[in-house]
Amino acid sequence: MKMTIEPVSAFSSLDVLVAMDEGLFSAEGLELQMASRESRDIRSTTEGALSSPVTNQGRLQERGEATMFQG
Amino acid sequence: MIVCAALVVPPDSSVYVPQELAHRRVGLDYGNGTAYAGLQMLEGAVPREAVSTCAAVTHPGERYAAMMRGEFDATVLQEPWITVAEKAGCRLVSTTFFHGTWVAGPHLDPELYAAFLRGVIRAVRRIKADKRRYVSYFKEGWAAGDAAVQALTPDDFNLGRIQLREPTPIPEGEARWAWDWMASWGLIHGTFDVTTQINRKIAREAHELAFAALSR
Repeated sequence: MKMTIEPVSAFSSLDVLVAMDEGLFSAEGLELQMASRESRDIRSTTEGALSSPVTNQGRLQERGEATMFQG
Repeated sequence: MIVCAALVVPPDSSVYVPQELAHRRVGLDYGNGTAYAGLQMLEGAVPREAVSTCAAVTHPGERYAAMMRGEFDATVLQEPWITVAEKAGCRLVSTTFFHGTWVAGPHLDPELYAAFLRGVIRAVRRIKADKRRYVSYFKEGWAAGDAAVQALTPDDFNLGRIQLREPTPIPEGEARWAWDWMASWGLIHGTFDVTTQINRKIAREAHELAFAALSR
């Protein structure tokens, strides 16, 4: 089984990063990949407002390039 | 994973308690969990009309640097920049924790998600058994090029701010509360409908598959 997720950081996904590095997904038969964002996918949150924020989360999932993202 | 978010002020700030942030500019990375955690910490201390925020960048290191340059009076940071800020003499005037939540499309394969959950659960158990061993991860990724982060040693980290929990389906009441809270700030519109927000069948099936395999 293969799955791609959007990029994550240690502050919110230390468990995922450790599972990837220590082969814990592989042991479950899962080949987990982390997508990388291209420059076109990255917009600054300073372009947004509180009620109309600009976020990069979910963009790859929307395009079908990742199965999940962390919200 | 549980995310720690701290409301931080510079060392020379006159602010010591969150109530003193009334009508002061707090830089938030709008649209991210950290920003919402910031709003929740502020509204717990001051009336909503006294909450004053401005847009700040997503990168916590750059947000911290902007605060130190005086672009706003306070901001909300995650690790490892909470530790960096403390070492630099900044004060944490409030700290909170929130769940990192995985979001998927409607056709997620429960078997696939169950395998993901099993990997995560095993990692959570390993990390909880020896958090110190894993703090080096906070120096990677976004933090790799940050000299202040790279100067941190494992002893600098407050391990109490690194909290992990084995994943569970999101409780409906918690999802409803989050929706209603966001709607109260005008961040989303409409009423909460659990059937459009949570695929209970897939969530339940995946978690049952994950725990059944782990208990064998």
